Amino acid sequence: MMLIEYQSQRVSLWYFRLALVLFILQVIMGLWLSINYAFTLPQELVNVFPFSTAREIHTNVLVAWMLLGFMGGTYYILPPECGRELYSPKIAYAQLIIFVAAAVTAVVGFLFGWTRGKPLLEIPFPLNALIVVAALLFIANVAMTIIESKEKSALQWMLLGGVTFLAVMYLFGMPFYKNLNTDYYYWWWVIHLWVEGAWEVVTASIVAYIIMRVTGVDRKVVEKWLYVETGLFLFTGIVGTGHHYYWIGAPDYWIWWGGIFSALEPLPIVLMVVDTWMHVRERKNPIVNPLTWYYIIGLAIYHLVGAGLWGFMHTLPPINYYTHGSQVTVSHGHLAFFGAYALLNLTIFYFAMPRLKGINKYQDRLGKWGFWITTIGMFILGLVFGIAGILQTYLERFLDIGYSTAHLTMMFWFRVAFGVGLVFLAGVIITVYHLFTIKPSSIPPPEPVVTPAANI
Amino acid sequence: MTGKTARLIFWVGTLTSAAIFLWQTYDFHMQTPKFTHTDKLTEQVVAGKKVWHKYNCNDCHTILGFGGYYAPDMTKAFYRLGENNIASIVQHPDVMYKNSFRKMPQLGVSETETRQLVSFLRWVGDIENRHWPPQDEKFVEAYKLRESQPQKLDKVHLVLQACGGCHTFENQGRNVGGDLTTIANRITYDRQTLINYMINPQSVRPGVAMPPQDVSPQTAAIIADFILSLKSTKEVSK
Repeated sequence: MMLIEYQSQRVSLWYFRLALVLFILQVIMGLWLSINYAFTLPQELVNVFPFSTAREIHTNVLVAWMLLGFMGGTYYILPPECGRELYSPKIAYAQLIIFVAAAVTAVVGFLFGWTRGKPLLEIPFPLNALIVVAALLFIANVAMTIIESKEKSALQWMLLGGVTFLAVMYLFGMPFYKNLNTDYYYWWWVIHLWVEGAWEVVTASIVAYIIMRVTGVDRKVVEKWLYVETGLFLFTGIVGTGHHYYWIGAPDYWIWWGGIFSALEPLPIVLMVVDTWMHVRERKNPIVNPLTWYYIIGLAIYHLVGAGLWGFMHTLPPINYYTHGSQVTVSHGHLAFFGAYALLNLTIFYFAMPRLKGINKYQDRLGKWGFWITTIGMFILGLVFGIAGILQTYLERFLDIGYSTAHLTMMFWFRVAFGVGLVFLAGVIITVYHLFTIKPSSIPPPEPVVTPAANI
Repeated sequence: MTGKTARLIFWVGTLTSAAIFLWQTYDFHMQTPKFTHTDKLTEQVVAGKKVWHKYNCNDCHTILGFGGYYAPDMTKAFYRLGENNIASIVQHPDVMYKNSFRKMPQLGVSETETRQLVSFLRWVGDIENRHWPPQDEKFVEAYKLRESQPQKLDKVHLVLQACGGCHTFENQGRNVGGDLTTIANRITYDRQTLINYMINPQSVRPGVAMPPQDVSPQTAAIIADFILSLKSTKEVSK
């Protein structure tokens, strides 16, 4: 049985490798941030490498490795989905080089204070222009591959729509806005419409593809679910942007529209969990690699808890009035990003990387350790941030104690967070090492009833 | 459910939501001048916003609740701290936070930039955002009260608002300039000298580190009375 049908799928391997390296850098920066909270650093150190610089690296590297994962994943699933090679592997490599060069220059630039000073969108204009070039090359490559394919599928269009939506939204973060409320209004067009719009579409498409390939469930069934899920994601997610507009100086109706629509946002995620579970039950093929399943199921559940439930509680206006801008947001952010997107990327990596090496069934002992350490580690981390956040909210906003005094209580909780973070880093390193050195298992895999290729 | 129904759900859901959102965006722009007083959005304020970005303030401080969670929210900072305190903190964080568990980097913000930044924060403080953040609302109210009727204020409250940025009093305020009770017992100034001292410290004590305070002579007089009342009279028992 062929594991990769098309040679051009190989371009994705470099996307995955670089994404994994950036993942480790992101976690190390996160640990450094927790040290900043947990201890009093000397003024000299704070002057040279302040919290703000570490934070911009932490968050930008997050965005970079997420995008590398999505782009690599798209390049991996596109050829078999379209039944042809990629339009141009050369463009794919050129785009990767431009993207990574811009990202590396940005990180080095941050160390020297070259920044736009806009959280998560700190990359200066010339580098942004490079990112746009890379994005255009990517979209052109994807679009041409789809246009020139004989068979057209809903999944292809969904994927193209998702990545185009993603790129278009990025443009709204680039101008300088004179008015702070307008600045934040469009800032969320990038951040919110990414994570609760475009990225969800890409996620749903990639997960649908992997489920279809691994389970052998009929394409019609999978695509039907895909339509309903993305429809609900976009229906709730677009107006749901309003939950960021409660306190920025915007009209009153945002409270209602934002509150109600963001309360509905867990619905599509529930649907995704149900959908995944149904497909697992109705699968025609035996489970070859349990670890890949751990990740798919883990993704669905973690996505629901971190983004869905945590987000639901935090965005209700009467609660948000107190928790907005506190450590509660940090807790939600970590659980949601890890649950929805870090696990998605790792699912793609565990699906694609062994196949790219010609391995069908792999040794997964180390990978399982990595899975449990990272998922449990991040869950505890989320709880620790959550406790710190509730404490901060209570002290600062209910008892009216000053910010600094309330933040003194952070020191203890961030020492705990630092300890848990070390364990998390160990889990990440184990996972990355396992993915880089994945080996075939000595136990022969069970024969699939429906070969994945038969579903194309 | 058929494939056709599923596609219908997708298109109707997405397009309805997008249409509502775009209409709201249009309305947001129509109403923004009212909520943010764009008539007061001067060149100086815009320059201040650029300073805010240039030194990447937003990756430690939140503003309107967004950004880094490492340092206080700056939305109502103008009302919480006042112009002089913001200026002192921005220019001499190492001095202002000498005794603090949390440090702020020495950024090298120039005099002009500091003034621009203050204008920006003043304008942001006036954005009508439903009195958020809740804990800063008292500072906004106190500032407005102080501006309109200084003589009617509770003295302790007034002193803490005006002097608490550097001085402590009964364990409140920032401990940079010393405890007001101790100071009251140490100084030998009369009421008028104390008023002059607040308005222009150098004229009374050349070389002193305290910056000139932006208070009216009436407010300074109220504060002077208050400080002088703190002097504990030594009982002379004969």
